[in-house]
Amino acid sequence: MAAVAVVTPTRMELLKLKQRVSLAQKGHDLLREKMDALVIEFFEVLRRIGEARTGALKQLSLAHRTLSVCSAIMGTIETRQASMEAKRELEVEISTRHVMGVVVPTLEVDKVERNALARGYSLHTTSSVLDEASKEFEKALGLLVKLAELEGSAHAIARELERTKRRVNALEYILIPQLKAALKFIEMRLDEMERENFSRLKRIKAMLEAGA
Amino acid sequence: MNVDRVLKFELSRLNVHLPERRISLKDALESEKPQVAARDGSIHRFKREELDFLAKVVPKADWGRLQLPVLIALDPKLGRGAARITGEVEARTIDQILGKKGKGEELLIYRPEVAIVRRKLPTTTQYLFVPG
Repeated sequence: MAAVAVVTPTRMELLKLKQRVSLAQKGHDLLREKMDALVIEFFEVLRRIGEARTGALKQLSLAHRTLSVCSAIMGTIETRQASMEAKRELEVEISTRHVMGVVVPTLEVDKVERNALARGYSLHTTSSVLDEASKEFEKALGLLVKLAELEGSAHAIARELERTKRRVNALEYILIPQLKAALKFIEMRLDEMERENFSRLKRIKAMLEAGA
Repeated sequence: MNVDRVLKFELSRLNVHLPERRISLKDALESEKPQVAARDGSIHRFKREELDFLAKVVPKADWGRLQLPVLIALDPKLGRGAARITGEVEARTIDQILGKKGKGEELLIYRPEVAIVRRKLPTTTQYLFVPG
């Protein structure tokens, strides 16, 4: 109501306020649409994160089981030795896509799984279970890259959603009611002034008639 | 007045993610890096798997007419949650994806359908906010 107190009750101010209400209303409608769309996106990303996480955990558990079998067969030291010999350079192409102005990452991996020869450890001194374990870990790596992309997207969308929601609420509960209250105040004040003027004129007319 | 300036800035930022120029599905399929430049200068990449999916849905004769990204227009005048898709090929494609039988150059879809479209085509569709 503090805003109402400082408003000058003039027709010019009334016109200005009407424009501001219209702009605020338009902004509110559009930002609410954006918020709704962000909610759709956010829940979709959350659903995909759930699926991706389940898949990645399942794959990691399988990979660790295979690694345990490998350690049991080959021996822990030999397995560790082979893992140190293995070389890996994974090329991840990081680009972006836009979800309503929110820049979310897109990760594309060319090929995660390799054949046994490309892994770098000696095939003579290692068992085939090591190949199996490596393959399972490579599969898990692909799933983890996918999960990272989704989690990055979820964080970016959540931040934007929070920001947009704050703006929508500020418009809906503070700015628009304040502007409308000021608008109502000016309209009432102008009406009152018109009534005052009218009764003043009537009084003057009555005085003039009495004088004549 | 400061609030108005912030609001105007917010409204001007709503559509900066839209592309400067859209490209056809044919061009996107032929391109090594299928992407468009957005109005804010950033790059928006299309996923290859989505393009392949669209290539299966859209008849080959229409590949040159389908402009990407397909714009999902959100207009407050349509009511909350409603969206419009314009363009004959675009509307037909979205119809097919949703399993509907519509015709005409314009298609109206609602929030659950928007969610389905966005789920299937996250990079080849974009939101467009229509100021009233």
